[in-house]
Amino acid sequence: MNECERCSTESLSSQSAETTRRRFLIAMMATASLLMSAILGIPFIGALFHSTSFSKKETWIKVADVQTIPEGLPIRLNFVQKEQDAFIGKNEIRSVWILRSHSSVTAYAPICPHAGCYYNWNEAHKQFECPCHGSIFNIDGFVMAGPSPRPLDTLPIKIEDGSLLVAWKRFKAGVAEKISV
Amino acid sequence: MLNGVLQWLNRRWPFSAAINAALKEDIPGGSSTAYTLGSVLLTLVLVQVITGIFQVFFFVPSVDHAYDSLSYLRTDVPFGWLIHGLHYWGANVMIIAMLLHMVRVFVWGAYKRPRELTWLFGVVLLIITMGMSFTGGPLPWDQAGYWAAEVGTSIPSSLPLIGSLTTELMRGGTDMGQLTISRFFVLHVMVLPLVLFAIIIFHIVALRVNGAVGPWDSSRHIKTGPFWPDQAFKDMMSACAIALLLMTLTILAPPGFTGPADPLSTTYTPKPEWNFLFLYEALKYFEGPLEPLGVAGVPAVLVLILVILPFIDRSPERNPFMRPVAMAAATVFAIVLIGLTIAGYVSKPGIHELPTSSAASANSANKPKTGLPMMPENIARGATVYRSAGCGGCHSINGSGGTAGPDLSNEGNRDRDRDWFRDQIRNPKSHFPDTIMPSFTGFNDQQLNDLIDYLGSLNGPSANKPSSPSTAASPSEVKPASAVPRSPALNRTAGYAAGTIGNSAQGALIFDKQCVSCHSHNAIGGIPNPGADEGVVPSLNPIDKAVFNKDPRHFAENVDAFIQHGSVPSGKNPRLHMPSFGDSSSLTQQQISNLEAYIMELNGVDRAKMINPGIEPVTFFFIFIPAFLLIMSIMGGIYRCLPKDRKEKQQESHLDL
Repeated sequence: MNECERCSTESLSSQSAETTRRRFLIAMMATASLLMSAILGIPFIGALFHSTSFSKKETWIKVADVQTIPEGLPIRLNFVQKEQDAFIGKNEIRSVWILRSHSSVTAYAPICPHAGCYYNWNEAHKQFECPCHGSIFNIDGFVMAGPSPRPLDTLPIKIEDGSLLVAWKRFKAGVAEKISV
Repeated sequence: MLNGVLQWLNRRWPFSAAINAALKEDIPGGSSTAYTLGSVLLTLVLVQVITGIFQVFFFVPSVDHAYDSLSYLRTDVPFGWLIHGLHYWGANVMIIAMLLHMVRVFVWGAYKRPRELTWLFGVVLLIITMGMSFTGGPLPWDQAGYWAAEVGTSIPSSLPLIGSLTTELMRGGTDMGQLTISRFFVLHVMVLPLVLFAIIIFHIVALRVNGAVGPWDSSRHIKTGPFWPDQAFKDMMSACAIALLLMTLTILAPPGFTGPADPLSTTYTPKPEWNFLFLYEALKYFEGPLEPLGVAGVPAVLVLILVILPFIDRSPERNPFMRPVAMAAATVFAIVLIGLTIAGYVSKPGIHELPTSSAASANSANKPKTGLPMMPENIARGATVYRSAGCGGCHSINGSGGTAGPDLSNEGNRDRDRDWFRDQIRNPKSHFPDTIMPSFTGFNDQQLNDLIDYLGSLNGPSANKPSSPSTAASPSEVKPASAVPRSPALNRTAGYAAGTIGNSAQGALIFDKQCVSCHSHNAIGGIPNPGADEGVVPSLNPIDKAVFNKDPRHFAENVDAFIQHGSVPSGKNPRLHMPSFGDSSSLTQQQISNLEAYIMELNGVDRAKMINPGIEPVTFFFIFIPAFLLIMSIMGGIYRCLPKDRKEKQQESHLDL
């Protein structure tokens, strides 16, 4: 038994020393298979990476009349945005937090920059609180506690004829820079 | 005859040889119940495959239909509850059984040379099973699943370079959506199962190459017992016990309905499944710049420990009493994992500590000046009282709130003293005998004073404009009456929410925010509504007989028409009317379905009631359990009673098939 094993190893090693017809054929077939896999595989994988979910076009959507927004108290406003989710076209309800002071209006994306949960306003403590990992933000969006790596994300706004328009965007979660995705 | 067929078959395919090879195995030290965990896992895989296939007959992996198609399976398809329940519990029990199997293998030292590969294949199986759990949980597209996937796919995005690519690859885009559920579905029902089956074969072949490990005490190795029938019988009995356990769990603790996935929800607090709680808890210790380290490091370290175990622990000693270091290390490992899981389980997600003053001041030091007026504390508390008591349901401040009561935006400039406010709140009829305002006698002095301070502070412009229809923040956003149809809502079509099984607990939270100011607590109604024929807002608990229906589907449709489109009560000029929450998008369809479930629950109808269970679960339980126990005990009795030699003869005859 042992002898036999040894002889088979020997024959293998002697084979590897020179290129035989057999080995050449193996190499050729392996190369052809690899090439074929690459020609088909790269486009296949590409299909998975091509993200088609949502259009990234910036559209301005009216969320409220500026006059109706109370001062000094953040409020959450819903608005409807027409969206194409892969092959499903639908009217998606989105929301933003709007904070109006006498000099300015700020719109916060409603999503915690840490892991993508929707946060709440705690009236008693005057702070935004995320239910997932306990990030706390003050009324200006600054991180007071918890794991959030950056302040609340502001969204682009403009005011036209007394209407507040917001451009919906999403930002990369979990990193210190605010990167639009 | 039978022999002839068998011979015919065997000449063409080695059936008998294959069965012989599978069953003929000597177990060192004889059979043992401790060795049955592996075959219990195989049984569980089989349960998951069969129940999984049956679910796919009904399940539609789309954002529009996933939740409703699964609800349909669970309530409308005969024995659908059984199929889904067994799959749900099978998944949970499988992870527990797998951990027990690993503990068994560890204590017996079965990972040691020459069985390292068997162990490694086992580790791969554990990872794939966790992957199955991660990809299967979101498929119902309910709140629990949606948020587990949302948070789970967000976590890798903090990694440098590959972070966002990973998240996008998992989601099929930047947001959760149709491609996310497609991907999770394909991974769960195609890719991972195929890999799982392949690795199971590798695992079992590796086991058979080196044989069962047997007792650590080598003196007991002299005696061996056959796999067939001794170990096989014990395996079968364990598998039966597992089947019994799954059935009991399915019937006594069926999985709940957490409500349809609602990306806008803030009433749902996401927490991962129990088997990912250790990771969830561990990640809390990595904040800020350390986060990527935790995200990549914690799972990597755990897997690495399992992978290198057979290569660092190389002494051939298998007796656990002679391996104090290994056993101690494993105990610490287990305690850490169990401790993290328990900590994750009991932790109230969300706010566990208030910001310390130093943190606050450090932050405020570098914050830009915004010129934002900060409310004094008492006024802020008063604003909270105003909100929580539902004052905004009737009164409006700066355009936000109801129109039934007077606008309070300018209340501070009306020269009213504290006593006037106190009387007005505690006993409104003392000032206005015909008022519809209810008496608020439930406030304590502090609350009352805060509320008065708040009202006195209101000196804004009297912006008596109706709030924008897209506003959802205010509890009652009363549109001009003309905008709401006067036709009876019952004759109007129900919306999408009517066909969806909501979660009543979440519905209750929404009700307390949005509806309580008109329908009052527990929806008992009775709030005055002058101008309406009834004179009060009707009770929803119990609800109008015309709306009520025993069949949850019809009941939901009836309630839905009101919530979607609103309605105006009959009467000359009713001051209050039902706003259209659906048409105005101030509530999402998911929220509406939750509200419906709550209102139906108040009226004694379960929204998730089984329409067509086949056999009622409890009845099924009482038929199944005795029959099952009887069969098990008969089989066990026969096995025990068989004389030893008969057993061996039987074994011979089977091996000679």
